[in-house]
Amino acid sequence: MSSFFVQTVWIVPLYTLLGALFSILWLPAITSRTGPRPAGYVNLLMTLLAFVHSVLALTGIWNGVPQKLSITWLEVANLQLTLPLEISGVNVAALVVVTGLNLLAQLYAVGYLEMDWGWGRFFAFLAYFEGGMSVLALSNSLFFSYIVLEVLTLGTYLLVGYWFNQSLVVTGARDAFLTKRAGDLILLMGVIALLPLAGTWDFTELAQWANSESVRQYAAAHPTTFTLLGLALIAGPMGKCAQFPLHLWLDEAMEGPLPSTILRNGVVVATGAWVLIKLQPIIALSPTALAVTVGIGAVTAVGASLIAIAQIDIKRSLSYSVSAYMGLVFIAVGTLNDDAAYLLLLAHAVAMGLLVMSIGGVILNTITQDLTKLGGLWSRRPITAISYLVGAAGLIGFPPFGGFWAILKLVDGLWDKHPWLLGLVLVVNALTAFSLTREFGLVFGGKPQEMTERSPEVAWTMVFPMVVLLAITLHVPIILHNLSLLPRWENLHQQLTPLVVWSTISGVGIGSIIYLNPLWKKPIQLPFKPLQNLFAYDFYTPQLYRYTIVLVVAVIAKVTDWLDRNVVDGLVNLVGLATVFSGQGLKYNTSGQGQFYLLTIILGLTVFLGLLTAGLIQLSF
Amino acid sequence: MQLQLQYFLLLAAALFCIGIFGLITSRNAVRVLMSIELLLNAVNINLMGFSNYLDPQGIKGQVFAVFVITIAAAEAAVGLAIVLAIYRNRDTVDMEQFNLLKW
Repeated sequence: MSSFFVQTVWIVPLYTLLGALFSILWLPAITSRTGPRPAGYVNLLMTLLAFVHSVLALTGIWNGVPQKLSITWLEVANLQLTLPLEISGVNVAALVVVTGLNLLAQLYAVGYLEMDWGWGRFFAFLAYFEGGMSVLALSNSLFFSYIVLEVLTLGTYLLVGYWFNQSLVVTGARDAFLTKRAGDLILLMGVIALLPLAGTWDFTELAQWANSESVRQYAAAHPTTFTLLGLALIAGPMGKCAQFPLHLWLDEAMEGPLPSTILRNGVVVATGAWVLIKLQPIIALSPTALAVTVGIGAVTAVGASLIAIAQIDIKRSLSYSVSAYMGLVFIAVGTLNDDAAYLLLLAHAVAMGLLVMSIGGVILNTITQDLTKLGGLWSRRPITAISYLVGAAGLIGFPPFGGFWAILKLVDGLWDKHPWLLGLVLVVNALTAFSLTREFGLVFGGKPQEMTERSPEVAWTMVFPMVVLLAITLHVPIILHNLSLLPRWENLHQQLTPLVVWSTISGVGIGSIIYLNPLWKKPIQLPFKPLQNLFAYDFYTPQLYRYTIVLVVAVIAKVTDWLDRNVVDGLVNLVGLATVFSGQGLKYNTSGQGQFYLLTIILGLTVFLGLLTAGLIQLSF
Repeated sequence: MQLQLQYFLLLAAALFCIGIFGLITSRNAVRVLMSIELLLNAVNINLMGFSNYLDPQGIKGQVFAVFVITIAAAEAAVGLAIVLAIYRNRDTVDMEQFNLLKW
């Protein structure tokens, strides 16, 4: 029976896409009398089906042999485009995470979007997203993964631009689309350049190709080619995972509706990392590309966690933590620690989803997202507060939760070769711990402020998915243990384990001293104000974009437009104008004087005869 | 000095040129008609010259000249009638006043 579910697991994306189609029925333009709620219920049902199916498939495949399915998409001349699906434990587990988080986020959205009329559109977009991510989880082809990444880019644009009557939403959706698009386009260059080299886009075959001895020698002989190839392949995930310098979109995407933020922060940014992990054998062919991967990840991890500390918008503060964790994934991939990267993705998806859910409940009832206007919610919002605490514990290196094992595995892999990266990961862990503690202190600790004086707990539709996710976060270490993914107690690294714990303790401790201590005066001012502003304004990235890329493109666009309007159009217009003016000028030859006509006739005849005689004379000689 | 055909032709050409000059520069319409007569007479001299020097037996040129003189008379009559008709309408025979049919 379970083999049946394994065989048909490719149907999972179709459930959600079917849900997306059904949602259209409840668009306000089609069903205006009875409201849009059934759109949400249908999608919940479809996602539930998808989730149950993938869980059943997972039980069938976990210890089994990976299976492959292949559907021919297009055959032309020498190119065969097949859509290979890999049904392995990891892929189906990713499918379970995607559908499970979607199920919870959609139930959450039923509560969060209570006062909203756009359910048809929202749930259709959400289901579209879920379908895309499910295909990506199963796809075993770089080409089709690229297609799905683009599908998700469009989905991000639509979902961030959900409330399009707000101007910041429109600019945010624009930036999210263009930034990710730029990365995806460079990825496409890499994808296309890879085909003549490897002759395949199948991830498994690509890995075999990259690991063969002849290819290694070839790569060593042509370092530039493989460096450029690696860089192009990194660029796509770089934009998707909101890494420096393509990170601004995630900040601006926080203008979108919160239930989609759960997904974005949890899984969507992870799609880029998913592709990056699968591409790791090819990137590993070039030491430069590996170094760049690590560099990008390191800069993003440190920079984004510093920025997160300086934010006053609670959603944005979390979004920079997402960038920082994706930076850790980049470091893991760059240092060839695949297992740590998968673990990080899992721990991050669950914990970050929980954090955003908890924060969403706070935002819905206190209206403001401003950390300086929140406070004192601990006694009245215990479930939300505990969810936040568990989410934070699951994210940072806090034993025995998931994040701890992921970070421990990562630093374990860095121990021998990259000691300074090990320090960096510990610093990022401490900074994130500090940042999350700061948010906790400002939101739940302290005294209630004007905005938080009356803040009831939210409805069950939002609390229930939150608590379920809380339970899952708590169970992550047990699940990992049962799957024997955790190191045995006696194998624990004797020096590293205390280091990770101490970095967490220092972050949480300093955060608590500053933000949970009512004696410490808030808001905190750094002694050097410009530095604080530098972090608070995200290293002035919007200005950086505006004065580099955007400026250059705008100037070139204006110059080209001017050239087209004046030079190209002008040349063609000049032909017309010359004809018009010559007609206008030459008509004065028709002077109306009969004698002038006579003169013209005589002159013409004379010239003609003159030429004729000249010719005759020449002929005669 | 022997009178040669060339001299007749040159004289006729000179007369023709004078006629052309008068035809194009005269402002009086009657003088234009007179210039046309000069042209026709230059042609007649040509015809007579060729007839005498090249075709003394057939003298077809002289027959042509008789026809030309006849037609020229008729043409002058019609021309003067036209000038008169225009004069009746416009009270002038100045060629530069007859420029209504321009661009």
